[in-house]
Amino acid sequence: MPCERKPMRYGHSEGHTEVCFDDTGRFIVTCGNDGDVRIWESLDDDDPKFITVGEKAYSLALKNGKLVTASSNNTVQIHTFPDGDPDGILTRFTTNATHVTFNSIGSRVAAGSSDFMVKVVEVSDSSQQKTLRGHEAPVLSVTFDPKDDFLASASCDGSVVVWNIEEQTQVISWPLLQKSNDVTNAKSLCRLAWQPGMGKFLAVPVETKVHLYERGSWDHVSTLSDDLLTQPINVVSWSPCGRFLAAGSVGGLLTVWDVNSKLCVERQKHEKGFTVCSLAWHPSGSQIAYTDTEGCLGLLDGLGTSTADKNTTKPAKDYDDLFDDDDDRLMDEGLSDTKSPAKKAVGWDDDDDDFLVPATGRVKNRGAFLDDENSLDTGSLKLGQDKFGDNNDDAGSSVAPAAPPVAPLRPVYEGPMPTPPQKAFQPGSSPAHLTHRFMMWNFVGIVRGYNDEQDNAIDVEFHDTAVHHAMHLTNSLGHTMADLSQEGVLLACPSTEELASKLQCLHFSSWDTNKEWMVDLPKGEDARALCLGQGWAAVATSTLMIRLFSIGGVQRELFSLPGPVVCMAGHGEQLLVVYHRATGFDGEQALGVQLLQFSRKKRQLISGEPLPLSQKSYLSWLGFTAEGTPCYVDSNGMVRMLNRSLGNTWTPVCNTRETCKSKSDHYWVVGVHENPQQLRCIPCKGSRYPPTLPRPAVAILPFKLPLCQTTTEKGQMEEQFWRSVLFHNHYSFLSSSGYEIDEDAQNLSQKEQQELLMKMFALSCKLEREFRCVELAEMMTQNVVTLAIRYASRSRRMALAQRLSEIALEKSNQMQEEEQEEPEYSSTRRTSSGQPRVTNILDNMMSSKKSAQLSSSGGKPSKSPVLKPLAPKPKTKVPSQKLNVFKQGSISRCLCAFRPKTGFQLWLEENRKSILADNPDLEETDVIKEAMGRFRTLSTEERLLSNQLKLFIFKNDFRSTDLNKTDK
Amino acid sequence: MVSFVTARPAPQAAGTVCSAVPVGRKFLNTHTKKQTDMDPSEVEFLAEKEMVKIIPNFSLDKVFLIGGDLGPFNPGLPIDVPVWLALNLKQRQKCRIIPPEWMDVEKLEEMRDLERKEDMFTPVPSPYYMELTKLLLNHASDNIPKADEIRTLVKDIWDTRIAKLRLSADSFISQQEAYAKLDNLTLMEINTIRAFLLDTLNCMYKLRSNVQ
Repeated sequence: MPCERKPMRYGHSEGHTEVCFDDTGRFIVTCGNDGDVRIWESLDDDDPKFITVGEKAYSLALKNGKLVTASSNNTVQIHTFPDGDPDGILTRFTTNATHVTFNSIGSRVAAGSSDFMVKVVEVSDSSQQKTLRGHEAPVLSVTFDPKDDFLASASCDGSVVVWNIEEQTQVISWPLLQKSNDVTNAKSLCRLAWQPGMGKFLAVPVETKVHLYERGSWDHVSTLSDDLLTQPINVVSWSPCGRFLAAGSVGGLLTVWDVNSKLCVERQKHEKGFTVCSLAWHPSGSQIAYTDTEGCLGLLDGLGTSTADKNTTKPAKDYDDLFDDDDDRLMDEGLSDTKSPAKKAVGWDDDDDDFLVPATGRVKNRGAFLDDENSLDTGSLKLGQDKFGDNNDDAGSSVAPAAPPVAPLRPVYEGPMPTPPQKAFQPGSSPAHLTHRFMMWNFVGIVRGYNDEQDNAIDVEFHDTAVHHAMHLTNSLGHTMADLSQEGVLLACPSTEELASKLQCLHFSSWDTNKEWMVDLPKGEDARALCLGQGWAAVATSTLMIRLFSIGGVQRELFSLPGPVVCMAGHGEQLLVVYHRATGFDGEQALGVQLLQFSRKKRQLISGEPLPLSQKSYLSWLGFTAEGTPCYVDSNGMVRMLNRSLGNTWTPVCNTRETCKSKSDHYWVVGVHENPQQLRCIPCKGSRYPPTLPRPAVAILPFKLPLCQTTTEKGQMEEQFWRSVLFHNHYSFLSSSGYEIDEDAQNLSQKEQQELLMKMFALSCKLEREFRCVELAEMMTQNVVTLAIRYASRSRRMALAQRLSEIALEKSNQMQEEEQEEPEYSSTRRTSSGQPRVTNILDNMMSSKKSAQLSSSGGKPSKSPVLKPLAPKPKTKVPSQKLNVFKQGSISRCLCAFRPKTGFQLWLEENRKSILADNPDLEETDVIKEAMGRFRTLSTEERLLSNQLKLFIFKNDFRSTDLNKTDK
Repeated sequence: MVSFVTARPAPQAAGTVCSAVPVGRKFLNTHTKKQTDMDPSEVEFLAEKEMVKIIPNFSLDKVFLIGGDLGPFNPGLPIDVPVWLALNLKQRQKCRIIPPEWMDVEKLEEMRDLERKEDMFTPVPSPYYMELTKLLLNHASDNIPKADEIRTLVKDIWDTRIAKLRLSADSFISQQEAYAKLDNLTLMEINTIRAFLLDTLNCMYKLRSNVQ
């Protein structure tokens, strides 16, 4: 059997349970002995919504957003669905009701009770009740005629009675059942079911068989049975189309018959053999949900397919019966999901059809759409028919009438499903529904929110107590968002019915006495996300706007976002905003990102480009590294960083999930540092968020670019090199935006890169990969190329050395050109476009760095604030300046003779003295040669500095004469 | 900024810094102290070299000390420092101390139960467990969850071990053995029994030689 039986799952405590689908088929709704009604979004829903209706719930019915339950306090009550608000009591009995049911349009409710009575109540007006008296024992079950004229009920007195509702009289009564004194003692629950649509048949479970009685004549027309059914049938239920009848038995056997052929088309056994006490068809007819007396819920899936397949393989005789009606055809197609056009073709051959449609891949989709038309058709048909139903002479068509499903069928869309857009959040906060939570954890400190019975408060604590002492605030406004910077705390609360959404800033770094300001957002506008930068604050609101404030409370610019904000982050003068660009599909989010800079020249660095996320993940953290590079983490633990030197692309730098021990462990990122390379995060065992108590400790993860083959030496070095390059980018950015940078660290990382290149060069040399060697050499700075040349010539690779010297020459020419292009004492920024080759990333960085130095030393005092992300390193001004000059010279642009007193000259002067002291009779050029000889014996670092010179000397003399000139 | 004490005070010979030595204290005071004896405060001094994790709330570059370089200190970032520095910083409210991993109620309960079950000495979590517990709980009990329970548990373990030690010393003397092997003893425990045991043996030796 192709029908799939899903594993049972625990739904309620032991005892009688009932199940039904809601009108749309989205939810499975169950009730049970524990008095709860549970609303399952699917069988896998681990956290179903529940409504408590009483101590015990005996029965439920759901239609048109009204949930009717029979509970242990002898009432039949209504709740709204899916909200679950009580909506009044429909009726009362002297003892509990045993079964409730809606009529087909949902206007009336019938309830059978243990006090022998059946009541029919108007849902809209519960005073309009009709009581059906006549049973002599508790009523087992009730069912409405789809045309609302009759009502059938079964009782413990052994009778099944059809009532005329209007007249409140018995139409017919059959003594079919075994007598018992109570529902709990009854052999079978005897849940009757009236065929939906025309209501031609009433199905009555009698022992192990199902009797079908014809409406109007009340003749016993047929019996459905199955050899495997040995125990009494508890419950029967018609498929929404009225063609199939499902039955659940005491022994746990589930059987589906095709009513036309009276053949059993589906058999399933309950996995534990418990008694099935309730059955419900999905409105689309493809699933059956069932519950047992042990409180478990189960599902049969894929019924539509199986039954359709069954039909198509049946002999043509059956087809004639089934498919002589257009409506039938369509309905069948709506049910079928078959992918076998050949089989379908057989069916189509039988008759000509107005609705003949080619069998394409999306049969189900279109079929469902047509089904809607179908129900309209039958609606009009219904009007013209008399209430007993004009039987067509063709038995087949009346057996399977073009019944509209009991529940209105929505068009079933099977394409990519839209993903619910992720909600706005503050990066570094735990979810707002927690009573104790982190509202912010960033570089500066921690903001914790407490919201329990005793206290509604906010604690602000600083990592560095030098910034400010810890603060404790009562949260009377109900703030839910927070951000923290060196200057202040920004808080915001959503609007309530009376109060507008508020923005509060505790500006503790203010030098006046007012350390706080507050702003009300306009009515109908809610703060969604906020962030603090240096001297400014930003709030993104529900009206797709971002409002900027100065830190002192002056309103500044405002601008609109293209979509609802997800989160924001600020650093220095940069603002990073992530918003919903569009609707994502199949679990993906479609996010866009904007990066703005508010320096003197305000500009947008990234204007609404898509934000790359891992598959089926969402954004979980957004921020800047301490050095000011945008960075984010998605829910799959992938950390990505902006690569400014590669056209503002995002590079994955770490996968935190790789270091997790178990699948449910996560790392909660709180900060990223580029120098030293640290990913600061909190390990969370079995959760995504850390608890506030015990106080979590920060762990440090290393970065690792996901390069190939990092287990090999080559891969490792490549990874190290590119990581170093990537994490080196911030120097050029910082210096170009006028910040002070850590020269030592920069030179150190440059040295590291060059060393790595040299190592890779040596490795490739060993592996006899000379082409690769040249490729590597192109990435080297010129002085390292000379080292490479020496290495090549030493290992007797003259061809390689030759090529390398060409590269060296090219590089030196390139540098000279740059020098010449650059106007003297220029403070204008040199762009890389001036360079003949822009492939060398290092050279680019160096040039921009240098120009920045020039601009700052050019006597123009920089007005931009000096940001010191690496505050811990106090700098003594004088030596570092000297060092700068020295290093600058070391990069050998000192050859430009126009600069006054470059570092190289300083260095040369220093060394000349000692050289001249040793060899007083040397010529000027010899002095330099001698100096070179000495430097060869010096340490690598110093050698690096001097290598440049060596190259020039060994190439030709004119440059050394240049040098002489500068010396003189 | 933070200024460090670059020299830490050595224990005063007379001071009873660690009162965790209930046994032998009287004995020590009444008898002439030998050069070889070690004061509990000296043991504690050694224990202070153990490393412990702290979360500083200040930032400071590397400090270069004789014992090795420490730092750099970044606010909010855990770092390993010796106990003496941790306590110093803690007293000045410059850091939070993260208790060592073994200083956990569950782990200590396990250890206590094992110690009670076994006849021999079981391995202790740290060679200075008693001293560290004492120091950290006295100075940083606010950073250690369930400090009181931990104090009781460590005391239990200590008492069990000292009882074992006395018992083995008793059987050692009563059986007049020439040597005994005791594994997994900590410095503080040895120190507790040393003076008493040696003096006793001396005494007994004298008495016995007089008898003969």
